[in-house]
Amino acid sequence: MSTGSDRPEGAIAAPPEAPAHWTHRHLLDVDGLTRPDIELVMRTADEMHDVLARPIPKVPALRGLGVTILFYEASTRTRVSFEVAAKNLSADVVNIAAASSSVSKGESLIDTVRTVEALGADMLVMRHSVSGAPYLAADIFSGSVLNGGDGWHAHPSQALLDLYTLRSRLPGGSLEGRKVVILGDALHSRVARSNAWTLTAMGADLWICGPSTLLRGFEAWAARGASGRRFTVTSDVDAALRDADVVMALRIQKERMASGLLPSLREYAARYGLTSERLRAAKPDAIVMHPGPMNEGVEIAPDVAAGPHSVVTDQVHNGVAVRMALLYLLAGTRRTEAGA
Amino acid sequence: MSGSEGHDATVRGWAVDPAAGREGAAEIEVRGGVLERLTWLSGAAADGLAADGLLILPGLVDFHAHFREPGNEDAETVASGQAAAAHGGFTTVALMPNTTPTLDEPSALGRVRAAAAASGSPVKVLAHGAVTAGRKGETLSAMGELADAGVVGFSDDGASVRSATILRNALAYAGALGLPIVDHPEDLALTEGAEASEGYVATVLGLKGWPVAGEAGSVARSIAVLADVVRDVPGARLHLTHLSTAASLDHVRAAKAAGLPVTCDVTPHHLALTDEWIAGARRWAWEALDADGRARDPWADGALVAGPYDTSLRVNPPLRSAEDAAACRAALRDGTVDAIATDHAPHTEVDKHVEFGWAVNGISGIETALSVVLAAVGAGELPLVVAVALLTTGPARLLGARSGVAPGLRAGEPANLVVVDAGAAWTVDAASLASKGKNTPLLGRALPGTVRLVLADGRVAYAGG
Repeated sequence: MSTGSDRPEGAIAAPPEAPAHWTHRHLLDVDGLTRPDIELVMRTADEMHDVLARPIPKVPALRGLGVTILFYEASTRTRVSFEVAAKNLSADVVNIAAASSSVSKGESLIDTVRTVEALGADMLVMRHSVSGAPYLAADIFSGSVLNGGDGWHAHPSQALLDLYTLRSRLPGGSLEGRKVVILGDALHSRVARSNAWTLTAMGADLWICGPSTLLRGFEAWAARGASGRRFTVTSDVDAALRDADVVMALRIQKERMASGLLPSLREYAARYGLTSERLRAAKPDAIVMHPGPMNEGVEIAPDVAAGPHSVVTDQVHNGVAVRMALLYLLAGTRRTEAGA
Repeated sequence: MSGSEGHDATVRGWAVDPAAGREGAAEIEVRGGVLERLTWLSGAAADGLAADGLLILPGLVDFHAHFREPGNEDAETVASGQAAAAHGGFTTVALMPNTTPTLDEPSALGRVRAAAAASGSPVKVLAHGAVTAGRKGETLSAMGELADAGVVGFSDDGASVRSATILRNALAYAGALGLPIVDHPEDLALTEGAEASEGYVATVLGLKGWPVAGEAGSVARSIAVLADVVRDVPGARLHLTHLSTAASLDHVRAAKAAGLPVTCDVTPHHLALTDEWIAGARRWAWEALDADGRARDPWADGALVAGPYDTSLRVNPPLRSAEDAAACRAALRDGTVDAIATDHAPHTEVDKHVEFGWAVNGISGIETALSVVLAAVGAGELPLVVAVALLTTGPARLLGARSGVAPGLRAGEPANLVVVDAGAAWTVDAASLASKGKNTPLLGRALPGTVRLVLADGRVAYAGG
């Protein structure tokens, strides 16, 4: 629990009011975000970035609000990032790991959400292995639901922090016309799906590349995608990486071999692993990203992961600022709805 | 309409009688439950009677429904299912055997019959027996005894007859009994964990894909097995139920052209709804096609009007693309499809109000089937007389002469008919459904075609609306 006494001397009384045009009560997906919505998240994240640069990075914006973090899947990075973000905004944070709660006794998601609400949650950050589960929670939760990753479907905060990281790194801060390559297991990746929306919304020339077994369905998406959010799908890693501005490698999981989607991790590393040699095909100042956790030596070589192109640490740091921005904006819609 | 109590009724409207190959303005008179007289009207007498007004149809026949009794009476009972059938205009239903216990021997059939008799409903209840004991796919059910007891076919519906060897034996054994094997085509190796039809919508929503090959491959296999069996057992018959893809229907079309004894049905939801509903679109399948006959992009054209992941849309086979739905309607028109069957699959709130990927499969559809088909008719997707045939004489042919089901508007017989006002819309809501299963994606939607009167075996099965 945070109190006003946590507020450091000289802190701003409150961050600027969220502009009225943030209208989303929940953040469940990025498919419904307009470019102005995204710009607003980016600008708000800039403010939060400034807060984080202070000696005591804490503001009272969410004081008195309960934020419950309900994760049905293992996660360190995202869960801690949301927790730090909520605490920096002085929210009261409750963490529920599914394995240690009634969930493991068979309690349904609906009952769990009702319980969490009865215990005072105003905002719910949730991760779930089933695509669409946060929509079910949002149907019954009276506050705001923030999707921390659902199945293969969406990971909105990750896509927005990736975008934030790219804008801070790319000359001019613009994605317009930049060649961005998502490399790896797109089929099982909520990061790939959410990035497909945000990157194309911002004008990037998106390429999604991997073994054809791990691109299933993306060709259909690329073919149907309306003009303005088209992207290229290919198994040709050399064509994908040629003159790329950005390469985002995705995690490969061992289960993919058991289900016959890949011959071996060794073969994947040899054919699709992001090595320094392969990276030479990209632009000299290309940016390398990874949503984590990384299998170094499989989808990304250790020297690339830790090398000068890599912004992996930035991604983690920016994650807190972007998640602060999202919590702040969603809290703003709560205030508006309450008529306060 | 007068004398709407049913035992005695006089109705003037637009009659459609596929058995007689005729439709037109008509007046019927029912006296003491018997259809005394059918008079085709012309000239001034026919004024104001048209296909978009009051329709008089033979009682509808559903070849494929689930009433959940015994074993899951919270989802549906035979009695609530009969009430739902009547509300939907159906006077005959053939139930699937995936109850608990499985309908794989005659005593289970006796329980269903007793429940149907006890309900007091005149809706005729027939049943398919299981192909294999316990629907486990390993050994044949008590096929001969079930045939003697009066089943109309054999099906392990809910799953395919997985083993080609068992399928081959079942086709031969049932063929000698004069009954079809009703297969639910699905290659489980391709559909394990599948949540939505593989393609654009499933990919965007992060749902595991149910590929077309998961159905079409199984269809092709079963037809190939049938071709072998039929050489030795000329009476062998294969019926493929709830086909949903262009590829499957192409296999059936070719097999029929080759003279094989294969038949199939399509559900109302596969001809009228599409996978884009899972994303939140709510337009009919024929409205989801562009001028070139390709599926439109609901994310691009503002079609997403509801929230995504509505579990009432989770069904097996899954809702397909607008192109596949169009192929279903084309196959209805060209005679490839023998019947529209509802696959009425009621479920409880407990089993449906969960995460999409964990929700049970099935749509409660017997009460909306006629309206959905009339919507397709109204859109010019299906001639009325073809639609009515696919809901009456088509499924009756599948049931066979032994079933005694012969839809038609014949004078001198107990009335089996439905009077439906094609021009009056009704709004689907939980309270309006007689089924215990409220799991329909059409909740809240206004549909054309309000059923006014249903007579089954001369008795009032439903009156109202």
